[in-house]
Amino acid sequence: MKKSEGRFPSPILADYSSSRFLGLAAAAVIIYLLPKIFADPFFILILQTIGFTYMAVLGLDFLVGFTGQKSLGHQGFFAIGGYTTVLLTTRLGWDFWWAFPVAIVFSAIAGLIMAVSAFRAKGPYIAMVTIAFGFVIEVIANRWVALTNGPMGIFGITKPHWFGGPLNPTGYFYLIAYMALALTMTTLNMLTSRVGRTLVAMRESEVAAESLGISVYAWKTMAFVVSGIFAGIGGVFFAHQSSFINSESFRFSQAIMFLAAAILGGSGTVLGPLVGTVVLVLLPHIFAGLYKYYLFIYGLILLLSIIFFNKGIVGSLAGMGGFGWLTPKKSRLDVPAEKLAFAVSAPNDRPLLAVSGLSRYFGGIKAVDGIDYQLYPGYIYGLIGPNGSGKSTLVNVLSGVYQPTAGRVEFKGETISGAKSHQMAVKGIARTFQTIRLFRHMTVLENIMVGFHIHMRRGFWGHMLRTRATVKEEEHFMGLALALLARLGMTDKADTLVENLPYGHQRLVEIGRALGTFPALLFLDEPAAGMNAHEIRELREIILGLKTAGIPVIVVIEHHMDLVMNLCESITVLDFGQKICQGSPSEVQSDPKVCTAYLGQAEV
Amino acid sequence: MFEQIWQAIISGLAQGSVYALIAQGFFLTWVTTKSLNFGQGEFLMMGALFGLSLFGYLGVTGVNPFVAGLLCIAATIVLGLALERVAVRPVIHLASFSWVLSTVAVSIMLKNVAVVGWGPAETKFPAYISEKMIHISGAGIAPQELFCLVASVTTMLALFLFLKRARLGKAMMAVANNVSAASVVGINPTFIMALAYALSSGLAGLGGILIAPITFAFAEMGALITIKAFAAALAGGLDNPLGILLGGLIIGLIEQGATMISSDIRDLSIFAFVLLLLALRPTGLLGVKAIEKV
Repeated sequence: MKKSEGRFPSPILADYSSSRFLGLAAAAVIIYLLPKIFADPFFILILQTIGFTYMAVLGLDFLVGFTGQKSLGHQGFFAIGGYTTVLLTTRLGWDFWWAFPVAIVFSAIAGLIMAVSAFRAKGPYIAMVTIAFGFVIEVIANRWVALTNGPMGIFGITKPHWFGGPLNPTGYFYLIAYMALALTMTTLNMLTSRVGRTLVAMRESEVAAESLGISVYAWKTMAFVVSGIFAGIGGVFFAHQSSFINSESFRFSQAIMFLAAAILGGSGTVLGPLVGTVVLVLLPHIFAGLYKYYLFIYGLILLLSIIFFNKGIVGSLAGMGGFGWLTPKKSRLDVPAEKLAFAVSAPNDRPLLAVSGLSRYFGGIKAVDGIDYQLYPGYIYGLIGPNGSGKSTLVNVLSGVYQPTAGRVEFKGETISGAKSHQMAVKGIARTFQTIRLFRHMTVLENIMVGFHIHMRRGFWGHMLRTRATVKEEEHFMGLALALLARLGMTDKADTLVENLPYGHQRLVEIGRALGTFPALLFLDEPAAGMNAHEIRELREIILGLKTAGIPVIVVIEHHMDLVMNLCESITVLDFGQKICQGSPSEVQSDPKVCTAYLGQAEV
Repeated sequence: MFEQIWQAIISGLAQGSVYALIAQGFFLTWVTTKSLNFGQGEFLMMGALFGLSLFGYLGVTGVNPFVAGLLCIAATIVLGLALERVAVRPVIHLASFSWVLSTVAVSIMLKNVAVVGWGPAETKFPAYISEKMIHISGAGIAPQELFCLVASVTTMLALFLFLKRARLGKAMMAVANNVSAASVVGINPTFIMALAYALSSGLAGLGGILIAPITFAFAEMGALITIKAFAAALAGGLDNPLGILLGGLIIGLIEQGATMISSDIRDLSIFAFVLLLLALRPTGLLGVKAIEKV
């Protein structure tokens, strides 16, 4: 059985502040000592190269390792960062430190453009979009001679000034390395908190992430922008390393090299990008003597390491004995469980949700066909019908996964038809899924924490710098998450990876995760599927408990008739996309139309 | 002007048909193995260099150029099988895209082999049909380009027929559709995946000997072709061979059209086109838009 401790960074606030501080201090000292030990000027150049390449690789790993997006166009950001400061300093005579923020802004804009063009693409199409993006930048740098002087290049680039004079090579290395260290720290801060959780959640299931109020569009864009900024900063330091750059400096092969470093080192590990970068920067120098066969050896080493270190160097080593220190043991903070409070609502005569004439067609198939449907606060509703009768489609439309073909949906008196899934979650509609859509490679607690997404207020900067308020907020919600788990009877499973849980428990985690949004309306899509009789009885108690706790409306879609009849106060029956009956369990059971729908017409 | 446009169209279609031919290889391996050979261009290059040796060599001894061509294709097929076994199969089970890097690694090695074995120079490829321009209403058309276009389109039509009609082709599409269901009815998916790589490499080898008389043969000839063929595949729709043919021809035409205006915007036009197209149609022109079932 896989343990959650095996993963690092784990996307949750962890109590490793002491080891974190030690690691930071050790890294700072090592950086300080490196040029003292290896005082050779050539070696210092290599150290600089490792530094700025690492920034780009780190940025790419943020994208590849955590969002599952890939980019084969990162040389484009490298070029944009580099050309921005070089052109501003050489052509307009700006000071480097004024040009630097401009380079960051331009890289961010480029990241935005890449994100917008890649957003709807999937798999190999994303690869194509990023390749095309990188090539467009490459070709512009090469052909817009008036601006970049193309292959002839730009001369007279100076090092940034620092307290009066231009930096010497060692000083330049320090600048690069400490900035790289700062970028690493902010990345770690992001990944071990809400930001990392959100990114991993999106990678695992976009549909589920959306259902919890995560705007996948916005967060993917954010990931591309951050990644682009990192690579852009790397490009700046690359461009100012020597006094000359030309358009030949930014090639597709560089994008491949960045990706190779990220994957070779161990995608999604802390030290992976650094190890991968060091290996790939040093290799050419080691084999430079074999000039004629150098590329063959380079390719061979790349091939062999991909085959033999299939989780990357760091990832594979971490799994071996003697390298346990690569993954810190303590996985999360201990916080006391807090008191849960849902929006308590008394029954009243105004419907929480009112649906009129709702339809959803798929081509010629009328999956939902003109349904009128009202849900009043204070009740548990049942939604039943034979397979293919439109139950799931109805839930999908009401939770914003599908857009309605026709009809009108009012929620809390407001028209919401056409809203997207993540907007529905913000309005107070939560759901679970018929086929479980948990974030499989996260722990139970982490899954629940993603559920709180829309209630967390601390933004990007807070997480980047890990402010006191951010930590407080994470602790508060972790306490709430533990309370939720206690309600589901799963406190002892908090740190188990959900993929290791039995089916019935997975269903409960999904309910818990949806509860994290503190919904006014909760759809449970076949919550008892795959559960045994004992688990179903427990489930019934849990759902009844949720009503008592104050969830205004719960809708249960189920095939287990004993559960539906013993739990729901009002039952709606669908057949062929239409509502054929609504009433109390006994009314529904005695309705001949329902009997026909399930058993067919008796032949006369 | 009119003649120029005619020539650009023929050149564009000829180039584009080779992009499409290479891109069919992407289609075959993608649908069956969810991986593709990012070194297709280098396989094309190897095909051309094998051809350089065989045509020059066997040409004098009177061996049929057709036989020599088949030998070239056979050689690239062997390379493709080796690639699948060594660089793809061991990493394919990983839920990542290590295959991007492993196939790129092999392509880097091949480039080195090419430089060492055949030298870095751009070598003229012996023409196997007349080099005399055909003149149609004033426009001069190189027979080699026409031959290239006809040969690649014919090959692709044969491929479509193979996938639709032949037992083996249908087995391939079955694996593409559902690997476990295919193995239940007795199809060996491992064999089919190797076959996909063999076909894909063979197409690249054929592309090499078709395009080399137009562009010359050299170690770097494959680099941009991989990317442009990839662009063709995704512009057309990676899961639709007909779309890929269309995508290849369009990319070829855009390339030649842009060159008429200025060679500076040639590559820019292709990538800008693909960026725009994929932003509007994320699964290409004829690709299937998957509705995720919830």
